[in-house]
Amino acid sequence: MTSSGAKPTADAFADISSPLTGGRREPVVRRGQKGLRDAPAAWLLIAPVIVLFGISVIYPLIDTIRLSLFDIKGLAPAKFVGLGNYAALFADATFRNTLLTTLIFTLGTTLISVSLGWTLAMLCSFAPRHTLPFRGMFFVTFGISEAVSGYMWINILRPDKAGLLNSLIGSVVPGFQHSWLGDPVTALWSLIFVASWSGVGLPLMLCFAAVQGIPKTVLEAAYMDGAKPMSIMRHIMVPLSMPGVRVAIFINLLGALRAFDIIYVMTGGGPVRATETVGYFMYRESMTQFKLGYGAAATVVLLVAVLVVSIPAIIQRTAGAK
Amino acid sequence: MIGRVPWWTVIVVGVLAVCWVVPVLGIVLTSIRPPADVALGWWRLDNIRFTLDAWQRVWVEYPLAESFFYTALLAALATLGTMLLTPAAAYAFHFLKFRSRRLLLIIIINAFVLPQQVVVIPLFTLWRDMKLIDNPLAVLIPYVGMSFAWSIFLVKNFLEDFPKELIEAAKIDGCGPIKTLQHVVLPNATSPIFAVGVLQFLWSWNALLLPMLYLRSMVPLPVLLTKVSGTYEMNWDLRSVAAIVTTIVPLIVFVVFQRQFAAGSQTRTGAKE
Repeated sequence: MTSSGAKPTADAFADISSPLTGGRREPVVRRGQKGLRDAPAAWLLIAPVIVLFGISVIYPLIDTIRLSLFDIKGLAPAKFVGLGNYAALFADATFRNTLLTTLIFTLGTTLISVSLGWTLAMLCSFAPRHTLPFRGMFFVTFGISEAVSGYMWINILRPDKAGLLNSLIGSVVPGFQHSWLGDPVTALWSLIFVASWSGVGLPLMLCFAAVQGIPKTVLEAAYMDGAKPMSIMRHIMVPLSMPGVRVAIFINLLGALRAFDIIYVMTGGGPVRATETVGYFMYRESMTQFKLGYGAAATVVLLVAVLVVSIPAIIQRTAGAK
Repeated sequence: MIGRVPWWTVIVVGVLAVCWVVPVLGIVLTSIRPPADVALGWWRLDNIRFTLDAWQRVWVEYPLAESFFYTALLAALATLGTMLLTPAAAYAFHFLKFRSRRLLLIIIINAFVLPQQVVVIPLFTLWRDMKLIDNPLAVLIPYVGMSFAWSIFLVKNFLEDFPKELIEAAKIDGCGPIKTLQHVVLPNATSPIFAVGVLQFLWSWNALLLPMLYLRSMVPLPVLLTKVSGTYEMNWDLRSVAAIVTTIVPLIVFVVFQRQFAAGSQTRTGAKE
């Protein structure tokens, strides 16, 4: 679980291994040996983890689901409404629009950053040494905090003459001026672009690493057999980069679903709530409108989306947990 | 790669890479050029003067220095907490036997898919009832607690390659589980513990949502930056300095350890030589 919003830096690296190395070794602890002699020491070692994890993951998870069944407004006493909040959510035109926004944002971000990252990785693997500094430049945006990325792009997208984008277009189309973040459609696509901008480094690195991992002998053999660079790419590099692509897609989907920082900084969900994803909607309803139950129900919807996306990863991790 | 280097790919990638860092260049230049010169754009070359005026004023205009130290303190404590508790738990999960071990492990390592939005409401009401709002613990507990979802997985994965013989030898020499952890496992597992520390440091430093909701009087840098940017004053130079100060430390950490990230992802995609 990350809390860094759309950019799951920590997970990203923790997760790289999951689909590929899970359960590779036989379990070191053999079953059927006498007793649970280690138990006291083990519980001592994991007790702090259990307590902290319980407070910050298990309890919130259960409580969010519980709260979603209540009507809570501010400090007034909670009223049990069953699935009333969910019925209200799906009857709410704003929320339905939020679902659509989430879908566009999630798919758009994933598609752009993974396809661009993959293409760059392929290009880079033709000249690994010469493109090293350039790969660093792409990857560096991944290390910039999201709030700051948002601010940098506000600077580029400024509606006045000092906005680089307006100025560039203005030099071709005289008198061009557009408020990128003030128009519902361009605001959403600006967010998608900025999220992809900071996310492209990861698929680039993953796919590049996968291609670099191809044994030299395989490439040499192909070369000896007279394969052209294009066919080496098509028949060797592309298929072998697919594991990297899969991991990158998954990480990007998760990151986009949990996006918050970038939306908060760049548009605040506006204009007219056009850039609110479910992850932002729950914040707004619960923390600015104090409709805790309603916000919790939206969170559960987000949770369902996240779980659906994560099913393969969860199966793999569970099977690998020895 | 074998064969000649196709120069066009280097050029294409290079041009794109330069475009990629333009926004970074944008705030750096905005922060060191006088506002009057950049009114028509920070990239304009007609009047090149540099000034550190904004860099001096910003500390007075915003509580940037306090916020910087507070952010560093929070990130350091969260990192320390994770680095201390994770290896112990990963060791217990991997080498020791106890009831419900596998169930607990499955729950913890799968929790990494959960978005941070899940904790927002429950912890808000909990901290409110416990009068912990505005207390550093209100963010430190979830920072550390949530990190286990990925950190334990990472360290335990490393321990799968740990030579069993060493553990057996320690046992024969009379080491109990805790002594074994202390004298055998920890000294040989510094690299994953360190990696966990770096990742945890980056994300605690950059966290926005939780500190924004649970801290009031003193806020870490990303929250301060959003407050500064939220106002309608046109002080782009000061805001750019604040943005740079916010991200400079995690960025340096990231760049320094970038090689390890890349190498790590390489070995962990099964791409060992």
